[in-house]
Amino acid sequence: MIKKLLNPFVYIAGSYSLLIGLLIIFCTSVIGYYSSIHFPDILSVKTGPDYPVMYHILQSIANWLVISAILYLFAVVFSKSRIRLIDIFGTQALARFPYLFAALIGFSNAMDKFGRYILRQLLEQGDPVVMSAGAITIAIVLIVVTLFLTVWMVALMFNAYKIAANLKRGKLIITFITSLILAIVLSAFINNKLIQIF
Amino acid sequence: MNKKLPVLCPSCSSELKVQSLHCDNCETTINGLYHLPLLLKLDQKEQYFIILFIQSSGSLKIMAQKLKFSYPTVRNMLDDLIKKINKLQTEIS
Repeated sequence: MIKKLLNPFVYIAGSYSLLIGLLIIFCTSVIGYYSSIHFPDILSVKTGPDYPVMYHILQSIANWLVISAILYLFAVVFSKSRIRLIDIFGTQALARFPYLFAALIGFSNAMDKFGRYILRQLLEQGDPVVMSAGAITIAIVLIVVTLFLTVWMVALMFNAYKIAANLKRGKLIITFITSLILAIVLSAFINNKLIQIF
Repeated sequence: MNKKLPVLCPSCSSELKVQSLHCDNCETTINGLYHLPLLLKLDQKEQYFIILFIQSSGSLKIMAQKLKFSYPTVRNMLDDLIKKINKLQTEIS
């Protein structure tokens, strides 16, 4: 069961995973619209101001396309196997599954309130925020859960790339980390452009 | 009992050779020194993979359906097997 949760790509890839993955990305975006959760780059999860649902959908699609395209380029260059575009894009779409739960976290305003509370306490910025010990505990638990979901998603992305690209050891690790860094920068840039449009 | 054919020496890990062949019917025994064929040097899973590959007419899609694995998983298994066979062939020659 744990193996399937960390590496479902042994069993699912190609068009099937693309279809499920796109459905997950769409659902994540719509839930994010209602819960005010943003994904300003491929890894970040933030609460933020309300934007149209189309902004949320385009943001999620851009995040998925950017990392998939970069990984595909590295796979084509470095792998000796015959790489299929649909395997890279399909498995990367499915790998974003944990962020479906991250979008749900936004329905609790504890994290947002905790952020403002910390700003006020440490930097004396913004209005005074009163938080009970219980509310602080909930906020910390939600932050830990979000971190866990991020680690889970990165593990899924890594396993997806490992199977779809058939790379091993040094090549696998170096190209994956490089892709991750490039995708974070590029997706953040695209997200800034999207904010300007909306 | 499904006995596993040993291909490496349990003592020094060198490659084993066939020294004796026996006929169960007439009890003739042939002694000599023969190399193991390349396919027998592969483990049982790899031999099964090759048989399934032939039975599937070389279609990895059909193999993926039969093994209940994804297409890239089966392709990776094939690529790893090709690599191993190439290495064994290099060692022989």
